[in-house]
Amino acid sequence: MNIVKINNLCKTYPTFRLSDVSFTIPEGEITGFIGRNGAGKTTTIKSMLNLVHPDKGEIQYFGKILTENEAEIKKYIGYSGGTICWYPRKKLSEIIKTEKLFYDTWDDEACQKYIKLFSLDVNKSAIELSEGMKVKCNLLVALSHNAKVLILDEPTSGLDPFSRDELLDIFTELKKNGVAVFFSTHIISDLEKCADNIVYISNGKIVDSLSKADFIDKYEKNGESLEETILRMERGDINA
Amino acid sequence: MRNILIKEIKLSASFLSFLFILFGFMFFLPGYPILCGAFFVTLGIFQSFQNARETNDILFSALLPIAKKDVVKGKYIFVCIIELSALLLMALAVILRMTVFSDAGVYRSNALMNANLFALGMAFFIFGVYNAVFVGGFFKTAYKFGKPFVVYIILTFITVFVAEALHHFPLLEFLNAFGTDYIGIQTGLLAAGISAFLLLTLFSCRKSCYNFEMIDL
Repeated sequence: MNIVKINNLCKTYPTFRLSDVSFTIPEGEITGFIGRNGAGKTTTIKSMLNLVHPDKGEIQYFGKILTENEAEIKKYIGYSGGTICWYPRKKLSEIIKTEKLFYDTWDDEACQKYIKLFSLDVNKSAIELSEGMKVKCNLLVALSHNAKVLILDEPTSGLDPFSRDELLDIFTELKKNGVAVFFSTHIISDLEKCADNIVYISNGKIVDSLSKADFIDKYEKNGESLEETILRMERGDINA
Repeated sequence: MRNILIKEIKLSASFLSFLFILFGFMFFLPGYPILCGAFFVTLGIFQSFQNARETNDILFSALLPIAKKDVVKGKYIFVCIIELSALLLMALAVILRMTVFSDAGVYRSNALMNANLFALGMAFFIFGVYNAVFVGGFFKTAYKFGKPFVVYIILTFITVFVAEALHHFPLLEFLNAFGTDYIGIQTGLLAAGISAFLLLTLFSCRKSCYNFEMIDL
């Protein structure tokens, strides 16, 4: 079952255009959103969070239109925007405590579990954290309120290889619980490790949106790795 | 709405916003343009907006499971709470200056504006202008606040100058009433100030909700 449906999303900026972006995110699967810097990943994700207003198109979660059911839908979305940090001089515990007020689905046990797993000191403020720890801190909140969809904008950037591996394992664990994980990345090995589906965007257009196996079948040439396939496609040689 | 207000107070507000409420007591000062007290209170609120911008507060709030318009309403409620707290102190000063201190020489010989109901009404008006011009201006972009603040400063100081000057004109002496003199017209002027505050704030909040909905964060 598809939890998220994006239909014909268009957004024009003076120097960039997102054109007719359409794809779906299925329940209990990991969907990797791949594309080079400036391809339109963040604009798409921001539209999915109602932070950016598309010129055209529709976004649905659980069959409901986002703009008409914003507050209800956002309760079931976990978002992490990479290394962005909120209130850099406030203690993490204070931010978490305040954020908790907004979620009736908040799971203290899960919160404690991820605090331990990520080795986060919640008595520190965000300014004292490394870039990798900031990512973990954002993930902590996203993972603590039992979200049904996790939307993660480059969650693995800035993480050390061990933390990255741990995180990808967490994605796999979450999908077993029926959570849809959607993460953007330009690190293709992340997709190779855990993605079930690939949405590939280039120059503001969705090149294809398929299961990873179908993507490899369709585009792989002469025993290439997924990374080599995508690099070739990005250079303009789309046809397999 | 309660939660967003807690968020405003715990995470986004600057301590100065609360501290500068005390400028409401400037209504006790003789020989000083007392309406500047209202301006200083808004200067304290400005610090919270600066804080909010530096700490990614708007984006944080927009990601919370609330409607985007509630982010705007939360800010307006916070601003109004600070303003009303200051107005409470100003009202206390006005009541004391209208009663206990109504004949105090230091106030009677004051060439500047007396702290009466008209002055309180003007403070309401200044806060209304702040909400409409500065807060409303901020929510056109959710990050630019320089221009709205400068426009607000200009309008406020024109207002203070006009309010201070008016009672020196013939037939307008009632504006500087002491004690319960001209109580009817003074009460009317206070009501006009309160109405202006309410209208400016409600209109601005409504427009800001619309603007905030339209902008890309």
